[in-house]
Amino acid sequence: MSVDQELVLRVQAGDKKAFDILIMKYQQRIVHVITGFVHDPVEALDVAQEAFIKAYRALPNFRGDSAFYTWLYRIAINTAKNYLTAAARRPPATDVDAMDATNFYDASELKEFETPESRLMSTELEQTIHSAIESLPEETATAIKLREFEGMSYEEIAQAMDCPIGTVRSRIFRAREAIDKQIQEMMSEGE
Amino acid sequence: MTTDQNILLSALVDGELQGEELDQVLQLLATSAQAKIQLERYQLSSDVLHGYGSGNQQQDLTTRLSAALADEVQYTKTLERKETSQLISFPQQFWKQTAGLAIAASVGALAVVGVMTQPQNQLVPMASIAAIDDSVETMMVAQASDRWTVDEQEVEERLNTYLLDHNEYTSASGVFSYARVVSYGSGQ
Repeated sequence: MSVDQELVLRVQAGDKKAFDILIMKYQQRIVHVITGFVHDPVEALDVAQEAFIKAYRALPNFRGDSAFYTWLYRIAINTAKNYLTAAARRPPATDVDAMDATNFYDASELKEFETPESRLMSTELEQTIHSAIESLPEETATAIKLREFEGMSYEEIAQAMDCPIGTVRSRIFRAREAIDKQIQEMMSEGE
Repeated sequence: MTTDQNILLSALVDGELQGEELDQVLQLLATSAQAKIQLERYQLSSDVLHGYGSGNQQQDLTTRLSAALADEVQYTKTLERKETSQLISFPQQFWKQTAGLAIAASVGALAVVGVMTQPQNQLVPMASIAAIDDSVETMMVAQASDRWTVDEQEVEERLNTYLLDHNEYTSASGVFSYARVVSYGSGQ
């Protein structure tokens, strides 16, 4: 059972805090997808909030036939379209597929609606993170790259790197710590 | 925050936690604001690497949603766990072959039933047909209550003649001879 399934079951069993984790995990992606429909960043946040609330209300009916994110994605798209219809604006003629939206690394079609400030912020963050990864020891860098860029599971990474899963876990953690440190430095410089 | 706790948070971002460890992290997140902030940071770096936004809106949306969801109902469904790994799964090819066999078996069964329900009287000499017909006639007509009744004797006789002709024709051609048990004149 995936972590998402486990979290969904917990929410269904009355653990509201478990839904906070799902929000934390998917909010960036959902806002990113909605921005493809609703161009204004503030409005996009409102629509994202509405989508998450709808998802929470519909959660008792979620049977796990599809992945949680795919289900959430559909709710977000429908919420965005309804929002545009209510605002008498035409939704985009073409949809972005859930998997594309998830895996599309350079989603330029969606990014074109970002503000210059947010784009600058994104670029700076990306550069900081990439330079942090490049400065890591080789094995740590490889572990995080396989995880984030190749989407491999810990088990697959362990096989690829010929090491125990526990080692993979701590290497990825060390990489994230180093990245986080760089991000914090970048943020404090900007303040 | 200990290193072990941070390792668990990092694993949670990757969806690599199960059972007890997940319980442990959820408990930690419920009680420690610092853990929540740390998880958001790890998630942010992962999201940025995948090209999802700058993180500007993250704090805002989390806070807003927490407040909005505070008024929502708390579900009470019993926790059910699907142990998918314990289910027996067959490859798609297996189901295709099984479906093909089932269809073939159905067609075969239909053919056998069809042959069995065909009238056998085309192989029977005409004399014995008459004998069989008499017994059937006596039995079925006596039981049948929805036999037509025509007031005009002439019309009824003509209908019965048609039925007789039909019956003879079906004996020769193999057509179902259901009509002969439906209605004859009582004297025929």
